[in-house]
Amino acid sequence: MALKGLDIFKLTPKTNCKDCGNPTCMAFAMKVASGAIPIEKCPHMSAEALSTLSEATAPPMKSYKLGDLSLGGETVLSRHEKTLVSKTLYAGFVCDAQEAAEQDRLIAAMPKVDYERIGERMYLETVYVNHAGSKSADDYVALVNKCKALGRPMVLSCTDVEAMKAAVAAAAGCDIIVHGATAENYADMSAVATGAKALLGVRADSIEALHELVEKLEAAGNKNLILDVTGATVKETYANAVQVRRAALKDGDRSFGYPSIVNLASRNLAGEIKGDAHLEAALLSLFTCKYGSIVVCSEMTYAKALPLYGLRQNIFTDPQKPMKVEPGIYPINGADENSPCCLTVDFALTYFLVSGELERSKMPVNLLITDASGMSVLTAWAAGKFSSSSIKKFFDEFDINNKIKSRALIIPGKVAVMKGEIQDKLPDWSVIVGTTEAVQLVKYLRDEEWKKSYVDKSAAAPAAGEAAAEPAPAPKKVLPAPPIVVKGPYMIDDKPVTYKGHDPNAQTFVTIGERIHCISPAIRKAMDTYDEAPILKRAAEQIAAGATYLDVNIGPAESNGPELMQWAVQLLQQNFNNVPLALDTANQKAIEAGIKVYNRTNGKPIVNSADAGSRISNIDLAAANDAIVIALCSADGIAKDNEERMMHCHNMLERGLHLGMESDDLWFDPLFLVIKGMQDKQMDVLNAIRAFSEEGLKSTGGLSNNSNGMPKHIRPIMDAAMVGMAMTMGLTSAIVNPCDLRLMETIKSCDIIKNHNLYADSYLEI
Amino acid sequence: MPFAKKPQVFSARINELTLGTGDKAVTLGGQNVFNLYSFDAAMPNSPKIGIDVSDDPVQPSEGLTAFYAGCETLADRAKKAAELEDVDFVCIRFDLADPNGANKSIEDCVADAKAVAEAVDKPIVVAGCKNTEKDADLFGKVSEALQGKNILVLSAKEENYKGVAAGAGLAYGQKVGAESAVDINLAKQLNVLITQMGVDGKNVAMNVGSAAAGYGFEYVVSTLERVKAAALSQNDNTLQMPIITPVGVETWGVKESTAPESENPEWGGAEERGIDMEVETAAACLAYGSDAVILKHPDSVSTVARLVAALM
Repeated sequence: MALKGLDIFKLTPKTNCKDCGNPTCMAFAMKVASGAIPIEKCPHMSAEALSTLSEATAPPMKSYKLGDLSLGGETVLSRHEKTLVSKTLYAGFVCDAQEAAEQDRLIAAMPKVDYERIGERMYLETVYVNHAGSKSADDYVALVNKCKALGRPMVLSCTDVEAMKAAVAAAAGCDIIVHGATAENYADMSAVATGAKALLGVRADSIEALHELVEKLEAAGNKNLILDVTGATVKETYANAVQVRRAALKDGDRSFGYPSIVNLASRNLAGEIKGDAHLEAALLSLFTCKYGSIVVCSEMTYAKALPLYGLRQNIFTDPQKPMKVEPGIYPINGADENSPCCLTVDFALTYFLVSGELERSKMPVNLLITDASGMSVLTAWAAGKFSSSSIKKFFDEFDINNKIKSRALIIPGKVAVMKGEIQDKLPDWSVIVGTTEAVQLVKYLRDEEWKKSYVDKSAAAPAAGEAAAEPAPAPKKVLPAPPIVVKGPYMIDDKPVTYKGHDPNAQTFVTIGERIHCISPAIRKAMDTYDEAPILKRAAEQIAAGATYLDVNIGPAESNGPELMQWAVQLLQQNFNNVPLALDTANQKAIEAGIKVYNRTNGKPIVNSADAGSRISNIDLAAANDAIVIALCSADGIAKDNEERMMHCHNMLERGLHLGMESDDLWFDPLFLVIKGMQDKQMDVLNAIRAFSEEGLKSTGGLSNNSNGMPKHIRPIMDAAMVGMAMTMGLTSAIVNPCDLRLMETIKSCDIIKNHNLYADSYLEI
Repeated sequence: MPFAKKPQVFSARINELTLGTGDKAVTLGGQNVFNLYSFDAAMPNSPKIGIDVSDDPVQPSEGLTAFYAGCETLADRAKKAAELEDVDFVCIRFDLADPNGANKSIEDCVADAKAVAEAVDKPIVVAGCKNTEKDADLFGKVSEALQGKNILVLSAKEENYKGVAAGAGLAYGQKVGAESAVDINLAKQLNVLITQMGVDGKNVAMNVGSAAAGYGFEYVVSTLERVKAAALSQNDNTLQMPIITPVGVETWGVKESTAPESENPEWGGAEERGIDMEVETAAACLAYGSDAVILKHPDSVSTVARLVAALM
């Protein structure tokens, strides 16, 4: 049971020496009780007090390593509360009472299931080696020796202490669990396990007796345990599995805070299952859901494994890690080199959706999966991870031109704008804009609609064909940027919109308006055709709503980035009193070109954005151009915790300072996460902001990402709450939709409360 | 300290929903504990098993083709399926009505449904063709034709709930299924909208979305768990409707179930794989919160029935 502050206080030296960094021993004790600091922070605790306290403040469930596999360590009962940490492991059963031939068959079958699924190896991780009372220690040792050859961790199940000793000796060098403690033998068996530095498996006739036995073992000093919850029936086993885990995690019962074993091949359960492989499959699934740490089955087959491992991968997936499939060619419906190609990204859900629809179409198609860091199509495109260059690179790396003869390349309809650029880079191919949604693919392929847009390039292709070392740069049909037009003050509701100016040294919160983003179809089209009206309109709306900076996202703009960015920068600054801008694109040349024509009257340009991974060079770019840079505290993928976030933060800070930047010019982005997918991670993000702030660093981020996927009327409420909490933590800026009145009013109010503003009321109009 | 069981019994309950009439009627829900936690308190009704029968005679496996051999019509197949002892209700599905497919007329569907009602004495659930517009019309007409049979229509969605709730629920007193896509918020919202139309919440069942194991099933897990937690621990009566999850339609479409043995010889026969995919997905749905599952394969039906019996 967790200790209260006062209990901890009684164990402290009560000298108020402040060596722990707290003003008094009482303050220290309260913080330890709340879990804010570890007890070890006090250098004057007695060893005895330390062990009492570390026990009381220990996590509710022990975690162990079995070889490189992990067991236990869960803190919650449901995956939506917090990511589950140790996936269920499976064990194959073999027993010394079985005929030798049957043993050999089972052992030979164990390695058969072994495949990869979305980056994870799927196989039978462990072997459950059972000793029957009717057999001798020698029989058991012989079986252990046979199983050893598999090279997998073994659960040695044996309640005879002497036989166990012999088996442990035989298993020397292997990772084992000494699964043999009973009410009768526990002291001796515990000594065997401790001697072998192995986990001790515990079994008893009832859940109450199991608890009692664990308490005895704990009292004797062994807390490296795993609990066999298998009962006399399936029903009892399920009740035990749930109640043991629930007692540990919900009721704080430390004696049940250990991983579990569920043995479907035990005499009782095997007797109930009666060799029904489908029922065993259903039970494997059930105990993966609730709450088997190691589930033992009579035999693992592909039929059982394919759904089971997929299910496990889903349940134990970390929502922060994008599920990615391997890039490559996936032939569907018996496609061959002459079948057309559909191209998409490596985000697992996209892959499953698209491949499913392609399969339903019954038409042979080669699905080409490119590396897009596990992002969805539009997100990857906007981040520059799904671009004509990345596609060209993919074609080269996988030698697509030689592996596939068809020259039909169907791209997702959502990135129709890329068509020209891809066509330029893959001149032999006919690039066809496909459907915007996966569900439309069935009809699209079945009716061969794509053929309407297919252009045979073979006649037009240069004679040298693919062998041409340097394909002549295709004639670009890039529109030249038109001259900048300044039309006098832009009017909204007959009122002129002028940018009010910005003092870069002011403490007030900096809002970066996000509405000029080419993920919006209207802006995408406007950027494509240098159509100024939609861009000016959105700029004016944001400025009128009080935005400090405007973000200008021109997309990857691979063919005309520099020109387009210069045009956009001048268009906006000349029309709106040199409004400061964040230049947002994966195209570095475009950012540099934009900065060349940028007017600094109202603040430095912002480079949006660098990260600690492949985009780290944007820090160099900002340093070389005396710009501010938004520094995402992630390498490719979301940081798993704040330790990692801060590591990225400090790496980037160090790099920037070395290059002569001021620390104020690095704005750290903790990466706001979607509440709908990662509700349990939100406080981590806020705590990261506090950590930046405590180091005197500035911070920003795409704040509205938190409410992604929520109904429209809810989003402003969530965004406002988020910005309020984040500003409490010290957030200094955010990339937001300034036209969200509730959000902007909240920001202004928070600035008042933080004493960043001279006014105290009547401030909303300023 | 000795271990003392602490049953997790809630003061709230899942609604009871009865389908069909007479002695073959079945009741879903009614429990005040988490799914399958009969060790916390007895569940008044065990989870139920439906069988999915399409009007499309083409079956997804050889075993299913053999099972329905000799059946000419949807009614023949439905009768055959309903004769399985472990089947609690029959779900007839009008795949051929899809306007983008065979576009079977609503009149023909209604005639089929009537024939099924003649042939089968177990409760009937009617699934549409997934075209929301046509389904709304179809459900209304079938509800009219099967008045008094106490059927469930599967289902009303955000796009067509008005038509379905009015047609099936209000006009003919049938039970209404509310279908949303793996999101507790959408599930709640749809229930609220349907009840605001005047349909009694006690006459609504939910399909909160499903997927085959391995195919984004984590969303199904979290939705089922959250919905049941809201219904029981927070006594949210807009989420206390029993949950009915179509499993077979999802699992018999994925490659683990359908790829011929010749493609991956080490995988073994497709029939066994298909059944395991179906029963493992169903077991997970039941563990996390489904009050009924709808399966396709007779062996899956008997397996899941054994599983449920073992746990009750």
